[in-house]
Amino acid sequence: MTVAPPTAKEGTGGRPVPPSGWLAWVTSTDHKRIGVLTIATSLVLFLVMGTFALTMRAQLAQPEQHLVSTELYNQLFTIHGSGMIYMVVTPFAIGMGVYLVPLQIGAPGIAIPRLTLLGYWLYALGALVMLAGFATPGGAHADGWFSYPPMADSVHSPGAGSDLWIAGVFLATTGTIVMGWAVLWTGLRKRTHGMTMLRLPVFSWSMIATCLMVIGAFPALLAALGLLAVGRANPAIFEANVWNIGYQHLFWFYGHPVVYVMFFPYLAAVSEVLAVFSGRRFFGYRGTVLSLLVFAGLSMSVWGHHMFATGQATNDYYSLTSIALLVPAGVEYFAMIGTILGGRLRLGPPMLFALAFIPQFLIGGLTGIMLGTPVIDYHVTDSYFVVAHLHYVLFAGSAFGLFAAVYFWFPKVTGVMLGDRAGRLHFWLLVIGTNVTFLPMFALGYLGMPRRVSAYASFEGFGWLNLLSSVGAAFLAASVLVFAVNVLWTLRRRTLGSAERAPDDPWGGHTLEWATTSPPPRLNFTPDHPVPPVTSFAPLLDQRQRREEGAAAGDGSRP
Amino acid sequence: MKRHLSVLVVAGWGLLNGVLLAVLAVYGESAMVFWLWGGVVVLLELAAVAVLASSRLGPDQHVRYRVPDRAAGAVVPAAFGFLLVALAFVYGAWLLALAGPLLLVAVALAVRGTTAREE
Repeated sequence: MTVAPPTAKEGTGGRPVPPSGWLAWVTSTDHKRIGVLTIATSLVLFLVMGTFALTMRAQLAQPEQHLVSTELYNQLFTIHGSGMIYMVVTPFAIGMGVYLVPLQIGAPGIAIPRLTLLGYWLYALGALVMLAGFATPGGAHADGWFSYPPMADSVHSPGAGSDLWIAGVFLATTGTIVMGWAVLWTGLRKRTHGMTMLRLPVFSWSMIATCLMVIGAFPALLAALGLLAVGRANPAIFEANVWNIGYQHLFWFYGHPVVYVMFFPYLAAVSEVLAVFSGRRFFGYRGTVLSLLVFAGLSMSVWGHHMFATGQATNDYYSLTSIALLVPAGVEYFAMIGTILGGRLRLGPPMLFALAFIPQFLIGGLTGIMLGTPVIDYHVTDSYFVVAHLHYVLFAGSAFGLFAAVYFWFPKVTGVMLGDRAGRLHFWLLVIGTNVTFLPMFALGYLGMPRRVSAYASFEGFGWLNLLSSVGAAFLAASVLVFAVNVLWTLRRRTLGSAERAPDDPWGGHTLEWATTSPPPRLNFTPDHPVPPVTSFAPLLDQRQRREEGAAAGDGSRP
Repeated sequence: MKRHLSVLVVAGWGLLNGVLLAVLAVYGESAMVFWLWGGVVVLLELAAVAVLASSRLGPDQHVRYRVPDRAAGAVVPAAFGFLLVALAFVYGAWLLALAGPLLLVAVALAVRGTTAREE
């Protein structure tokens, strides 16, 4: 059975523009263009935020260094953290959903496409507003990515930089919520014929769980920012402790689920890569889907573990739910390992990143359980142990999933293959850099180095571990440079017509996006490339297996 | 049951939040937390109602789609209008005098259905 192609798009009667012109891009309601805009914007911001991180690591490489002032250092770590979370890893994840979910479910477009485009613009403008803080006389915001009052009020953090931070994060988060609604509605209500909910690919399921968290938790950040804005207008508000703690509740009600928003899509991208590069159907599909939903539900209940040290949260409850996260996480790990066991592994760049994700994210996850235990948290709270943990989750974990996704879907998005040798060099430099940078931070935190200090004295004994960490950061910079050159060089060669053309399905993919051309046409599927029959969550694998069985039966019937 | 699985996912996930909230009530927390999380549970159930209404009005799986494209030209002026509204918080209400006309332009473009037409 094949599915009829979708209806043609409506006539618009607007000004004619060339498809590759800038006006066609900035006003396009094509989900693929909005997805590419979102992903490209977040990658550019990733480079900016990485530069801030390198400056900080240079400052901390030796004791008592003053490469940048304390004030600028505070701005750098604030905008680095805010940028990576609000403007890079979260939007990239949602951007992947905007691009891939309609393709994976066989739809010609995304739900509410104009609002999705508005979501992108709010995000992009929000990022600019936040960065514009550096151009103000007092500099950018300097109170960390969670910006607790009273430190963040107008008495302790005067200047327009903090106000711009609030405005920028508010705009970007609003945009992310809008895009989240679009992806959720698309997955739930735009599926093609045969694509039942229990035939959705793992990545699309992960986006449904992710977007449920976006619509459930992200409005709390808007409320927190609103409270902070009111408090900056009238600082007397934060003289009452109830609003200081209230802000923390509002913030972390968003702040913990966002970690899973920055994790699920990358975990699912890794799952897709593991299955394809193992030549096997994803193992434990239904268990994984259920665990994603339970995981997402539990993630809404653990925010108070960020507030253990305040003494004003119900520690028993938050500790219990935090440790319960191990169960769905275990199911997902079991499924990933079950998928590769016994498979015929192909170690291309996407698979290398996916394989490294497994142990590295495990380190981040297990140290998270340690931090979810109050007795340990009291010892290491606000230390470099926390910095190491969150970077193992978001960089050693999510960023490896991000790069696995980039190498995996780059041929589909651009129509050309990304350089393989440079990809492998990028991978090894990134593995070395990640572990040399972030592993020593666990020891630094355990030894008592507080986070967010711009310098430390030589007698404190933090010197060689910090130097090691900074050497690792140099490896990270080299790896990202290799990646950037690889992408730009490949795109340049595509323009010149000398890049290696990508076939429709270069990897032997399992899901519907590999059934269409690379890159896909405006409405995703055409009569030449129709939506194939959807018989499971891996319809293309089914199709190949049917062909092989048919061929084998044909061979067997010969005399 | 299978036809309404999408509704069940959203409603069930909201309900899971409600159960976890009920457990928190046993342990005790500040009133604000119950308002916050309780409000989210209500929001999620409203989303489930919207999915239910949509799935009653249309098929669960589609073979024909509408791909709306009209009025996309309104998006960029609208986004810049919202940007000015946000900046008014930083630099003063006078920026609303610029944001208002820009948002009106966006509304006019939306009503006219203006968009860039790819050739």
